[in-house]
Amino acid sequence: MSINRRDFLLRAGFGIGGAAVGGFLPGGGFIGAASAAELANPLAPKDPQFPAKAKQVIWLHQNGAPSTLDLFDYKPELVKLAGQEIPASFLKGIKTSTQGGVGKLFVSKKRTWKQHGESGAWFSELLPNLAQHADKLTFIKSSVTVGATHDISILKLNTGDVNPGRPSLGAWVNYALGSLNQDLPSYVVLYNGDREPTAGSVNWASGFLPAVYQGTAFRPGDSPILYLDRPELRSAAEQRSTLDLLKKLNGISADRRPTDSELRARLESYELADRMQRTAPEAVDLSGESEATKKLYGLDDPTSESYGKVLLRARRLVERGVRFIHVVSGWPDGLAETERRSWDAHSDLDGNHGVQARMVDKPIAGLLADLKARGLLDTTLVVWTSEFGRTSWGESGTGRDHNPWGYTQWLAGGGAKAGFTYGSTDDVGLQVANKDEAVDTYDLHATILQLLGLDHLKTTFLNNGRSERPTVVFGKVVKDLIA
Amino acid sequence: MRKITYLAVLSAFTALAAVAADEKPVAADVKAPAAAAPATPAWSPYQAIKRPNVPSVKQKNWVRTPVDAFILAQLEAKGLKPSPETDRATYIRRATLDTWGLLPTPEEVKAFVNDKSPDAYEKLVDRLLASPHFGERQARRWLDLARYSDTSGFQNDQVRPNNWRYRDYVINSFTADKPFDRFIREQIAGDELWPDSQEAKIATGFLAGYPDNANSRDLVQRKYQIEHDITDTIGETILGTTIGCARCHNHKFDKISSKEYFQLLSFFANTSFDQRASLAKGSESDWDKTFAAQQAKYREATREIRDKQKAILDKYREAGEKYHKERYLTDSREAIFKAEKDWTAQDRWVNFRLKAVSSDRDIEGYLRLTSENKDHQEHSPDKVEAWKEYQKLQAQLKKFDNQRPIGGSTWITTATELGHADSPPTFVRFSGIHERPLDEVQPGVPALWGGDKIEIKPLATSSGRRTAYANWIVSPNNPLTARVYANRVWGQLFDKGIVVTLQDFGRAGGKPTHPELLDYLAADFIQNGWSVKKLQREVLLSNTYRQSSQPREDVAKADPQNKLLAVFPRKRLEAEEIRDSLLYASGQLNDKIGGPAVFPPIASVLNGQADFEGNPAWSVSKDKADWNRRSIYIFSRRSLPYPLTQTFDPPNTSIPHHKRDVTTTPLQALTLFNSDLALDWSQALAGRVINEAGKDPAAEVSRLYQILFSREPNKAEKAALSDFLSKQEAVVRQKAADGKFAVAVPTGVKNGKALDPIRGAAFVDLVLAVANSNDFAYRF
Repeated sequence: MSINRRDFLLRAGFGIGGAAVGGFLPGGGFIGAASAAELANPLAPKDPQFPAKAKQVIWLHQNGAPSTLDLFDYKPELVKLAGQEIPASFLKGIKTSTQGGVGKLFVSKKRTWKQHGESGAWFSELLPNLAQHADKLTFIKSSVTVGATHDISILKLNTGDVNPGRPSLGAWVNYALGSLNQDLPSYVVLYNGDREPTAGSVNWASGFLPAVYQGTAFRPGDSPILYLDRPELRSAAEQRSTLDLLKKLNGISADRRPTDSELRARLESYELADRMQRTAPEAVDLSGESEATKKLYGLDDPTSESYGKVLLRARRLVERGVRFIHVVSGWPDGLAETERRSWDAHSDLDGNHGVQARMVDKPIAGLLADLKARGLLDTTLVVWTSEFGRTSWGESGTGRDHNPWGYTQWLAGGGAKAGFTYGSTDDVGLQVANKDEAVDTYDLHATILQLLGLDHLKTTFLNNGRSERPTVVFGKVVKDLIA
Repeated sequence: MRKITYLAVLSAFTALAAVAADEKPVAADVKAPAAAAPATPAWSPYQAIKRPNVPSVKQKNWVRTPVDAFILAQLEAKGLKPSPETDRATYIRRATLDTWGLLPTPEEVKAFVNDKSPDAYEKLVDRLLASPHFGERQARRWLDLARYSDTSGFQNDQVRPNNWRYRDYVINSFTADKPFDRFIREQIAGDELWPDSQEAKIATGFLAGYPDNANSRDLVQRKYQIEHDITDTIGETILGTTIGCARCHNHKFDKISSKEYFQLLSFFANTSFDQRASLAKGSESDWDKTFAAQQAKYREATREIRDKQKAILDKYREAGEKYHKERYLTDSREAIFKAEKDWTAQDRWVNFRLKAVSSDRDIEGYLRLTSENKDHQEHSPDKVEAWKEYQKLQAQLKKFDNQRPIGGSTWITTATELGHADSPPTFVRFSGIHERPLDEVQPGVPALWGGDKIEIKPLATSSGRRTAYANWIVSPNNPLTARVYANRVWGQLFDKGIVVTLQDFGRAGGKPTHPELLDYLAADFIQNGWSVKKLQREVLLSNTYRQSSQPREDVAKADPQNKLLAVFPRKRLEAEEIRDSLLYASGQLNDKIGGPAVFPPIASVLNGQADFEGNPAWSVSKDKADWNRRSIYIFSRRSLPYPLTQTFDPPNTSIPHHKRDVTTTPLQALTLFNSDLALDWSQALAGRVINEAGKDPAAEVSRLYQILFSREPNKAEKAALSDFLSKQEAVVRQKAADGKFAVAVPTGVKNGKALDPIRGAAFVDLVLAVANSNDFAYRF
């Protein structure tokens, strides 16, 4: 039998002081950020620099780089020129690799296109469910980045640099705004598939920010956090009374150092951990969700089931005040080793995207519908993003190579301009049409921060004598994307 | 002392940052007391080091070493008294953790506490400094700076199988008290300066630690990124200058221009890294011999399969290589497809790199692609057959995976200039972008650092550039190296450096709180032959270091951040100290020194992680004794840090890590309270205590406190613990009553000490609570 936490705090004589170390009062009321800041909690909620449109972010990283030319960026000219060499004029100013590279322009015979919604946005047949939400989306069809390999471009997408070591966007947000919740990590990483995304934690690391701001990976399964569960050999009552002893011992030594808030914070962290043991499994437990909801997220289809579960978890985490949810796409469950592929379709694009699009289509559409229905979409920014796009020419006949020169990403909710398309690529969908409209990863970061009420130029941390900011020495807010 | 809260530190940073953004130098907020600095010109980190006069103080009897006089002078100027000497037990725990990263044994504590000889402290410190554990602890700090890892990072995150040799080189160097100037020269130019010394070549692993992605298609960009990483790493770690800023623009605070940055970068323009240089015959250690034997056995067992595979690949090798080479970007391809006789110095670099990252896997990939993809222009039926056969062989080979040797190599990693003395040209790059070269530059040292004309003597097989730079770095013309390292040692012992920004002595960094003390330490360091042990000895024996850490109200008021050190700063143990000390306390630590990295088990949810090439990311060591090695020997994988220590603010292995932050999170609590290891350690520690104390509860508790805290429990603690034990038995019994009787009992209890399992489980719980308490996690 567990002792009521509030009673415990009061009985143990910690009252407000002890609890306030965690940034909130017993019973759940937040104390003001200023007074919380005086205490030792680096995750105490902080006010944005100006009124925010979004409070929370769901970052949907489409790992492996989808061909947005086959999803959103309809190019009639490319269809016309398919099978021919790309006219040299389109290649101006870019460095390419030849083999499997600049070959003949490629269009899959299966591709069909339709406009959707009042906005008339184009969708291919690969995303029938998402297409129903056309008017919720803000397309950035002039996305650019640097790099020709996934790893460096993924790093840049998440951290703003092509070398590891900088904080990820989620860590910056966590640092600048603090936590909205009392008993879950504030920055959570989710992924589907049976293993962690390659390159791993550098993509959600805190870099030179203190480690407290790093992302916490929630693993698939009932117990999402490492070491969340007490060992089987210890009963709940045993655990509780042992924690009580720990609290008492720490209290005795704290008496000798009554002003030491770091020691008190450590004492409180065990109570937080104790609560997390109940709240974290509950947060990811889908058994209470209705059949309709499960269906909405595609849990009834083996191809979309694992990604759907992850996005349903994401929605539950939004409800519970997790600030930044970083979702990395993997592959459906139950595939053989050789079938486990990301979006990286160097060959057999139809086969690959057939699976990947089906994996994400219903879940993402379901997430948007569900957030909307629950009134959460207004304050939750959903970002559909990838490390780069894919080339207009074919590779090995049936695939496409990497394209950092022009591709599509989109935003939804959280103050983004709904039913709107920004920028475009050239007639074959290779490079941005107008360089002034190019949106690099830095610009995307700056715009997201702006929606969260943060000026990317003023969100700073002093490291190595250098005033560092999330956008390194680049970045501009793309005001047109904001409602 | 009012301990500043973590957030307060952060806000201070933000405030600093705001100033920095305005490009104004940041002023230190502690004014040097008048007595310490009478109208002399402002101290500069670039001025020559002169041994300063030791200041005179009123409370002369407090001055045990000159260090104390510098500290006391400022305290007296502020009207503060130093804190009383801490008790001997606290001192030995503090000093042992600081020098070894381990707890002292109760016997060591007792011997020291009862040592009546006048040189008891000296004997203790000399014992600590003489141990290889000192080398391990110092090495850990240096490896933080060297961004040490056993893998390359990025998505591939390939294993670098020789890196443990560099790690052991660092440990052995500190254990042997190798003069620090020699240590630096070996790491920057060991291959040039001591071409016959394998050790000196291994030392260049310092440079070779850069994160790297072998699959990069832009080799020219890779060259530039590697040079940039090395230039910045040396700038920050050895010279205390955040030189990286000048890559993109003239440094905003320090007078270093972009041109000067690229002049520094050009010292490395001709440097390649060979990760497969043969281990010198006759130098093989037992580990090497074991590895070679395992490898030979594996090769013998699989020879036939591998020969057949090779025969298949040979048929497609030419086409596969061509395919692979064509996938590089334009400027890389230029070098790749050029005839060797026409190679420039840069082409040499690119082609060596190409060779280093190419393997049979490329041919395999080509075969797979062109056989599986029927639409590929090079698709052919013979390839389909060949690939089928190859996969069959691959499946056969996989059956031998458990015979593969884990850990070790027959190689060393070394810097090399590929036998040539001419360097590729280095250009200033517009905004640091490698595709936008401006003027060509020659090697040189920034004017800010004295702008010395550096004479470069080309060698027969090497440019001699790194030798010239390394020699300058440790020359009397450069005062930074000694100052920066002395400051690091101070920061390690007192939590904060004399210059608080350990990596930045420039104008944006902190002003020194005690500039004369820093110069005194640096001057002494050089005079004592750059002996790291002597430097630490002097500080460890000072009265400043011996002070109590008990907070004081008067200090909190007068010097809230304790910059003047009137109180000793307590600190939470570092990630490795926590794990190593708990292993040590539970009697399970395997304190073997050196060797290939080890793999303790990790949480099962992380098993099955594979690297980019499908090899297991974590192959648990077969020898269980390896599971309990010190943390410095645990395999450091950039994409999968060892989870148990990951939440305790371990180093970021991608960049030089200068200071171990302290953050406090519930994830740490979960790790230390719930993990299987924490339970295992508690059971073992409980067993040890029972063995050593008998079954008298008071004696047990006393022994436990001696082991973990180097002290006896006080009255309140005794009462709490005894109350707990009596009640916890009932709680455990209740669990036992549900029919599934399984409890965690003390382990390793010796014969003849039959144990009531209920009581034993309650005692394990007690041990767990005590081991989780602040008194363990902090050194006071």
